[in-house]
Amino acid sequence: MNVFLKDIVPAAQNNINTRFIILDKARSSETAANGKSCIALAADETAAVHIQLWGEECDAFEAGDIVKLSNGIFSYVRNSGLVLRAGKRGKMEKIGEFTIAFVETPNVSEIQWNPDPENPKRYIQNGAVSAYSRVFPPLP
Amino acid sequence: MTMEKGNIFVASKLIHVSLHEVENQLELSLRQAFVSLNPKLHPPFSLQIPNPQEYIELNKAIVYSVLCDSGSCKTHIKYLHALVTDGYAFFTSLLVGIVVELYSKLVDSAKVQLLWVTKEMISVLSVGIDDLVVSLLRRIGSGDYSDENLWLCSELVSLFLDEWDCLVEDLPLVLTSALYSFLRLLADHCRVLGIAKLDNVKRLEIRFCVKMFREQMHLCLKIGREIVRLLQDLVHVSEFREIWNDLVSNQCADIYQSRTSSRYFLLRISHEMETQLRFLLGNVKLGSHKRHQIWFLKKFLLGPEKETVLIDIVRFICCVIHPTNEIIRSEIMPRWAMLGWFLELCRQNHHIERSVKLALFYDWLFFDEKTDNIMNVEPATLLMVWSIPQYPHITHSLLEFLLHLVETYDTRHRDTITKGVATAFREIERKGVIRSLDIFLSNPALSQDLKKKLSNLLAPVKLLKPPPAIGPPSEAVLRECVTSELDRPVILHQYRRRKNQDKRTEAVRSKEANLNAEDQ
Repeated sequence: MNVFLKDIVPAAQNNINTRFIILDKARSSETAANGKSCIALAADETAAVHIQLWGEECDAFEAGDIVKLSNGIFSYVRNSGLVLRAGKRGKMEKIGEFTIAFVETPNVSEIQWNPDPENPKRYIQNGAVSAYSRVFPPLP
Repeated sequence: MTMEKGNIFVASKLIHVSLHEVENQLELSLRQAFVSLNPKLHPPFSLQIPNPQEYIELNKAIVYSVLCDSGSCKTHIKYLHALVTDGYAFFTSLLVGIVVELYSKLVDSAKVQLLWVTKEMISVLSVGIDDLVVSLLRRIGSGDYSDENLWLCSELVSLFLDEWDCLVEDLPLVLTSALYSFLRLLADHCRVLGIAKLDNVKRLEIRFCVKMFREQMHLCLKIGREIVRLLQDLVHVSEFREIWNDLVSNQCADIYQSRTSSRYFLLRISHEMETQLRFLLGNVKLGSHKRHQIWFLKKFLLGPEKETVLIDIVRFICCVIHPTNEIIRSEIMPRWAMLGWFLELCRQNHHIERSVKLALFYDWLFFDEKTDNIMNVEPATLLMVWSIPQYPHITHSLLEFLLHLVETYDTRHRDTITKGVATAFREIERKGVIRSLDIFLSNPALSQDLKKKLSNLLAPVKLLKPPPAIGPPSEAVLRECVTSELDRPVILHQYRRRKNQDKRTEAVRSKEANLNAEDQ
């Protein structure tokens, strides 16, 4: 089942199937433990999100690429915030270029999520920290 | 090359595959057909007539094998000849699909084979061969002097020379497409210096084009008035000087009246470029367009030589992309805004800038309300109008360029051109693209001199009364700098192109009239 970005919810599950276009990519950073990774801004017709690319993914995808994510995971990553990524069990594949009319707000990575008091494994929205990405602000 | 996808080894002999891209469905279906039917593609061939599904699979298998295996391709093609029942229509459509979707990914040997099989299809006059040849022509990049591109260019020119007799006899319109393409490419090739490989390509291109003019003039003239614009850039090449003088002294008057079919404007635009331009002008809202613009720039316009394609992009946008009423009314990026951006991009290069402006105004020069389309002149009009509030120098420079063109483009046909441009102005007012020509004639932002020139140009053409305003002013009300004589603002409102251009009465003009794209 494919979801739109506006509907993804942080969880410790790798069950997110979606597609988006990459808007901008930050420089990769290398850590001894984890290898190359970088953050990018991605979006679809409904919302934007920060994605995290790992290893070869960093160079495989460019701004303007349309990417299909299978079995992805949307969760907090230290020093990166709330990011969408393939994770160990997921896969990102390029399916095209250019042809998505995206929006940059809301950015679901910039939303305040609080644990659901009735079920700590679930999260609910509690307002936006920022309407747009604070890492990749909209172009002037 | 092989690659690992998960635990499955995928080998493709047709294309370069990348680990992080989904499998291409077309390539996959061809490869799978090949794998399952390969044994059948060698003699002794089965005498059984395949059912429709088998026929499809056999065609796919043969396409894959012909492109990937140069050793056995002749045998495989013989089998195709034996079992074909649809005039090679499906086989050719697969090849077209490969050129459109996969060309840039093809391994080098497959590209060689592709040209070979195209020749085979020409020799049997396959159904759809014109599409295939045109698709290949569109693959020749502009301002691209890489070995691969020059190879494709010279291969195609050679193909046209080698298959000349057959093409003249059976596929003459393919020759006219080729002429358009190579004349245009030559204009760039003759301006570039220092690329040795280009000399051979140029020689072939010149040979083909001159042969067309000398032996098939009537075909050349089928291109219509654009042939003048193309040839003008080659006047400095000695082989074309005589052709130019000949054409200009004897035929120009008629040629100017002959509208160029919009299919020619696709020839120098690649499929990806077409997709992206159509997407921008059909789906992306003004204000959300910046990232798309950057991607377009990076993909197609990076590098000083690449700017030449702007000339073709402008013709394409003016003449081929005619947005529907719905899109015009929406917030989608309008054509005039895109063209304004492209004009900005070529400001550094005087020659390109001049050529782009000529491309922008070319439809004005010989505008005839009976045969020419108002949608071809609308973008330049709106660019001039919408630039007035904040960038009046743009309006000024464009109007000045247009009026200068009237004086200098072809002095022997100045009357024709004056009439054409005046007619274009009259029609843009009459059809409601602008409310009134006063926006130019009475505008304090424009110099007196310019306004006088424009007024003189328009004087002989009887201007109809401006139409009454239809509907409420749109949210895009243009606040004009009015003079003291006019005490009402000029409102830019939506315009309609009438379905039947013969009905001139204002009663026909209706807000809900459909816009049909007119294309011949």
